[in-house]
Amino acid sequence: MTLSRLLRHETILAVLTVIALIVLASLSDKFFTTENLLNQGRLMSEVGLVALAMTFVIVTGGIDLSVGSILGLTAILLGVFWKNLGLPLPAAIALAMLCGTFAGWVNGYIITRFNVPALIATLATLALYRGLAEGISQARSVRGYPEWFFFFGQGEVLGVPFQLWLLGIATVIAAVVLGLTPFGRATYAIGANETAARFSGIRVNATKLWIYSAAGFLSALAAVVFVSRVTTTRSDMGTGLELDVITGVVLGGTSIFGGRGTIIGTVLGLILIQALKNGLALSGVKGDGTIVVIGLVLIGAILVGALFDKNRGG
Amino acid sequence: MGSGTQNSDSAGGDGATSGFLPIELRAVSKSFAGIKVVSNVSFDIRPGEVHALMGENGAGKSTMIKIMAGLHQADEGDILVNGKVVKFASPKDAHAAGIATVHQELLLFPELTVAENIFLGQTPKTAMGLIDWQAMRVRARDLLNSLDSHDLDIDQKVASLSVGNRQRIEIARALAQDARVLIMDEPTAALAEADVQRLMAIVRNLCARGVAIVYVSHRMPEIFALANRVTVLRDGQHVATKPVSEVDEAKLVSMMVGRSIDRLYPPKQGENGNVALELRKVSFGKVVRDISFSLRYGEILGLAGLVGSGRTETALTIFGITPPTSGDILVDGKPQVISSPEAARDLGIAYVPEDRGQQGLIKAQSIEDNIALANLRRLMRGIFVDAARVTEEARKAITRFGIRARGPEQLVRQLSGGNQQKVVLGKWLATNPRILIMDEPTRGIDVGAKAEIHQLMRKLAGEGMAILMISSELPEVLGMSDRVLVMGGGRVVAEFDKAHATAEAVGAEMTRSDARDAA
Repeated sequence: MTLSRLLRHETILAVLTVIALIVLASLSDKFFTTENLLNQGRLMSEVGLVALAMTFVIVTGGIDLSVGSILGLTAILLGVFWKNLGLPLPAAIALAMLCGTFAGWVNGYIITRFNVPALIATLATLALYRGLAEGISQARSVRGYPEWFFFFGQGEVLGVPFQLWLLGIATVIAAVVLGLTPFGRATYAIGANETAARFSGIRVNATKLWIYSAAGFLSALAAVVFVSRVTTTRSDMGTGLELDVITGVVLGGTSIFGGRGTIIGTVLGLILIQALKNGLALSGVKGDGTIVVIGLVLIGAILVGALFDKNRGG
Repeated sequence: MGSGTQNSDSAGGDGATSGFLPIELRAVSKSFAGIKVVSNVSFDIRPGEVHALMGENGAGKSTMIKIMAGLHQADEGDILVNGKVVKFASPKDAHAAGIATVHQELLLFPELTVAENIFLGQTPKTAMGLIDWQAMRVRARDLLNSLDSHDLDIDQKVASLSVGNRQRIEIARALAQDARVLIMDEPTAALAEADVQRLMAIVRNLCARGVAIVYVSHRMPEIFALANRVTVLRDGQHVATKPVSEVDEAKLVSMMVGRSIDRLYPPKQGENGNVALELRKVSFGKVVRDISFSLRYGEILGLAGLVGSGRTETALTIFGITPPTSGDILVDGKPQVISSPEAARDLGIAYVPEDRGQQGLIKAQSIEDNIALANLRRLMRGIFVDAARVTEEARKAITRFGIRARGPEQLVRQLSGGNQQKVVLGKWLATNPRILIMDEPTRGIDVGAKAEIHQLMRKLAGEGMAILMISSELPEVLGMSDRVLVMGGGRVVAEFDKAHATAEAVGAEMTRSDARDAA
């Protein structure tokens, strides 16, 4: 796997991101300030954590639409375990995250055991997990968390938001696993040709189970950060998150058909989207306009990628 | 087989028709991506003859057929129909010139009726421009009757019909187009013996009506029973066109492969060792039934049989893709539960699958990625894949197997079939297997690479590897195997040692088992 070949899309994306940053900085003097950039990093962390796992999912040729619902479910369970069941908050957090991870595992189990397409399976659990969250919460929000809990979503370490550290560490781990380990090789192989992977002695089902469980785990982790950041738990948390996540991953050059993609690409894609959202808002573009621009950038990036792909030749 | 009987009848050796040949090819050449697959081929088809087109896989038969059928256009040379030069821009032009094809994969519409399929695209119309159902049904009935297929119901949906019946519909469809030439691409490959006989009767019937048949088949008995003349291609070159009466089987084979057969298959080296693999009454559902055999180190065991006889299914059961539902598999005399390909690999079993593109390779990845895939655990440093060793391993395989590639990072999909097969072999031999299962090891690869793979198999067996080879090419089974098992209907129906494994004996068992299964 030559690095230059894989990095081609990422190079384009990096150039695009730099251009976007320069343009946005020139449009508004509030954009390119340390404070604003760190704050944007804070806002991007939840989507970012989930996008790391989603990169693996999409590289295997799958998709996970239920991540937003898992986030919502984990958030609700956290609140309920703590407030209604009276568990100590650390135990409630741990248990809720375990449930979120289990929800991800269930996705993987349905997909591998019953051979259901990932799109269908997670479309079903998208509804299922959200429904559970709403049923459990009874439309009541949970608030009044102790002060220390807000550290995860609002605290800083060495002047950098806590969740950015979390995202950074998770990114390094994900990049190493996908790029350098047998697990990563298996992930690419499954996405490029699942049958051949199986015939080569790759543990296809086990690999997928791990990946969907990881998606559940990172969604749950994102839920804890989210609750801590906004200080309340509501059942509609994370609605539509899956679309932001998938947009970032695909913009990052991961093939929706599987077999190709990198963590670096995903991170660049996320940064570009967050920068556009924030920069355009700061320069007075309304919300609708921002979405249109993001859509255009996505199409543009994919077209450019396809062009380079063609030039590479058969 | 009734060889010789046809040569005297309708076959057009007579000069009277020579000006009106249904097809004549003059110095036809065709290249794909700069590689010449057909070079300077000339032959003609005479009215009412069965003209066999023979050659090894990759010899250019398919390309020739497609040129005649208008699917490909020749780069050089001329096609003449009735003495006039024609250009076929599409299959439609070929149809208009009276050339129809019965493809290997039948191209019928399963949800339409027999009559609708026969007349699709040429439906009889009423004065109002509507479909004339009455005329269509009457003409469909007539056509099928003329093919002695009175038993076929014209109102039945095609989906419910057997392969043999569907083939007759395809032939009727060609006749409805007033075909003067019918190209049949391996028409008997998927047929049961009874259907083969019936097809041969239909072919004779068509010839008697003056339809010329271009008949592509690997099966020697059919060629000698049906054909008037035979054209042999090798590596895209025209070797010869001869009356069937002037050749025999050995001659045809040597024309096809370009050397004598005993030089093609390398002799056995060394003695057999202990039993490596033993199956005791192994079954998987209804496709693998009560299979028992043993395979020794240093031995090449050939598994013969028709398509669907359970050979590949047996291999998949041994390899853990479809673990046995009953029975025991013993490796080195110890019963083993092989529940997955990784379990099989860890026991030293390797499987080079039948479908190279789907099962054997990840075509979008590089040679080194493919070769490392079955062997990742051995190519690690700490918890990481050691990229340098992956490349090193690929380089070794490229040298060892003579893979023609730019380097380890070249994408597998850019390689030729033979080189792709060597990559699959390289991947599995990198795991140091002791038992190697090869399913159609030389399917779709050129003659040169084929011989190299045969040499390699012999060498591996000589070094003590136990090899189970599945092949649909009888010459390969007979030439390579130390022992031959014949399968039919999911069972082992016969066993031959080297001395008794003749084409007649093995062929008879293959087809007999098939008839037994149908009964």
